[in-house]
Amino acid sequence: KLFLIVIVDSLVHWADLEPVPQDDGPNPVVKIAYSEKFSDVYDYFRALLKKDERSDRAFALTAEAIELNAANYTVWHYRRVLLQALQKDLREEMRYITDIIEEQPKNYQVWHHRRMVVEWLNDPSEELEFIADILSQDAKNYHAWQHRQWVIQEYKLWDNELEFVEKLLEEDVRNNSVWNQRHFVISHTTGYSSPAILDREVQYCLNQIRKAPHNESAWNYLKGILQDRGMSSHPGLLEQVLELKETHCSPYLLAFLVDCYEDALENNNQKETLNRALEVCEYLAQEKDTIRKEYWLFLQRSLESRFGPSAASGEPLADGTEPPAGQQELS
Amino acid sequence: MLSPLQLEEFEQIDFLRDRHVRFFQRTLQVLPERYASLETTRLTVMFFAVSGLDVLDALDVIDRNNMIEWIYSLQVLPTEDQSNLSRCGFRGSSHIGIPYSVKGPGVLHPYDSGHVAMTYTGLTSLLILGDDLSRVNKQACLAGLKALQLEDGSFCAVPEGSENDIRFIYCAACICYMLDDWSGMDIQKAIEYIRGSMSYDNGFGQGAGLESHGGWTFCAIASLCLMGRLEEALSQRELDRIRRWCIMRQQSGFHGRPNKPVDTCYSFWVGATLELLDVFQYTNYEKNRNYILSTQDRLVGGFAKWPDSHPDPLHAYLGLCGLSLIGEPNLRKVHPALNITQRAFQHLQQLQQTWRDNAGTCT
Repeated sequence: KLFLIVIVDSLVHWADLEPVPQDDGPNPVVKIAYSEKFSDVYDYFRALLKKDERSDRAFALTAEAIELNAANYTVWHYRRVLLQALQKDLREEMRYITDIIEEQPKNYQVWHHRRMVVEWLNDPSEELEFIADILSQDAKNYHAWQHRQWVIQEYKLWDNELEFVEKLLEEDVRNNSVWNQRHFVISHTTGYSSPAILDREVQYCLNQIRKAPHNESAWNYLKGILQDRGMSSHPGLLEQVLELKETHCSPYLLAFLVDCYEDALENNNQKETLNRALEVCEYLAQEKDTIRKEYWLFLQRSLESRFGPSAASGEPLADGTEPPAGQQELS
Repeated sequence: MLSPLQLEEFEQIDFLRDRHVRFFQRTLQVLPERYASLETTRLTVMFFAVSGLDVLDALDVIDRNNMIEWIYSLQVLPTEDQSNLSRCGFRGSSHIGIPYSVKGPGVLHPYDSGHVAMTYTGLTSLLILGDDLSRVNKQACLAGLKALQLEDGSFCAVPEGSENDIRFIYCAACICYMLDDWSGMDIQKAIEYIRGSMSYDNGFGQGAGLESHGGWTFCAIASLCLMGRLEEALSQRELDRIRRWCIMRQQSGFHGRPNKPVDTCYSFWVGATLELLDVFQYTNYEKNRNYILSTQDRLVGGFAKWPDSHPDPLHAYLGLCGLSLIGEPNLRKVHPALNITQRAFQHLQQLQQTWRDNAGTCT
């Protein structure tokens, strides 16, 4: 009986339309073997598309087409055309897109569609909560974070975001997406220029490192906020890091040390500083980060060439690269 | 005499060339319905298979001419009145329902247009198959490309509108590079967008403020290399910092973001970036190789993102490219920016020389 209903339905509602099949010619490549049902839906979709029909039956069919393949960007575009042409209820569309994203949160088209609807409604009020829900299922979903940044920036919803970041870092201090969000929020609100903020952030990092030493994200953040603000000149930092080296060592700590020494050498080329830097490189290469042994040895050679005694003569490195100009003579 | 355990270990790191050839052959034929989400991107799937076969030096197993015809049937050509120039390029498949045709003029259809990633993979696939691009309407492709660039320098994928980010800058750079014509994009604006996508941790995100990621870092660096602007756009200090970010992605194989699991495809995305930055030689080849091969599907061929997972064309192709970078025997070398074999790249260079010679003789 259900079979007959489907047949009658298509005869009644679609009789005027000539379905349009896909045409791959005589030698199709990467052909997908669709079932009859799948082909039917899309054959009618293609027919509607050709006519650019603006109707409720077309709108209903886009939902069927999306269910079969939510990655078809043409279907989504046509649906948006219909949403506007037929003056559809955008609140209802928000509910629809919410359900689809929950089912398929790693699809580009669905997030783009949501963004368009939010823009048309000019209403971001559901977004932060919705994205938080998606992130609760996958805290590193790139699309979710991207949408979140767009909403916050577009509608100036900065107020509670740092709190959100701190909550997520408590749940997983190794979530790199959250550290990135931290930088996003602070750089767009208070910024890092004030010594008070910078120091607060440096201490925050070091505290997280004490709790979870083997965490590249925290070290990347620390280096990131200091690398152009004088890594080696931040008061007390080098001492704190050298202290941590004894009890909370990691390849990231040691790499950070090398970078501190390099920064110091750029401002004041001292033999002792260079030796320390070379030592840490050796330690990394031979013991603490052996997978990158060749890189640390390369860095060692590079530092030697830039800041060592031979730098004055301007000899090229064994790698064939030239040391940069402007070497300080050792007094 | 090898012990059973040694034998098992040896087998586990054995590269199964023939299985991969058959995997790509099957990919080029028919895929089951569960691959429906690939419909609009079928041309990129073809690229993975065809370029994969090229890397394996196994292009002889396919009918190149028939495939070339199929690709040309996907070209969105100008209509009689040329009113659709800003929509030209290549489609990902026949999903819109345009009747099969390999020549112009284009058919007027309210929703037919090219997709930047399909134009890119259409051109690379034609090159790999030995075509001379003589049936590509280059001016139309470039007009279509130009229409996709936004004020901020990034590109959309399609003229109807889509998300915009660094992926499509890479596609655009490849297109301009192959067609030897940069009038299709505003290079300066693209460079600004790329620079703006550099994160505090010295990797590149999909756009400004976004988390740094191995795939987007590849798009950034490879684009700048193709433009010939790497050292103009980035200082030596920045390049050194980027090198550090990239080289820290190796865990065994490579991951795409700090504190994420490794995934075979990053052996290419990050590996190729490191190669472009001259420091791939300092990575650990053995651990990288062992990881990639641990994701090899010994039964059906191909590679997956993780061990004991289902292989797919993208990971199969990029796994091979990852092995090619470390010099795996019997694999062709891959051009790290354009992501085609050096052989296909040489074919492109010869073509471009012919174009220049012909342009010189026209008065």
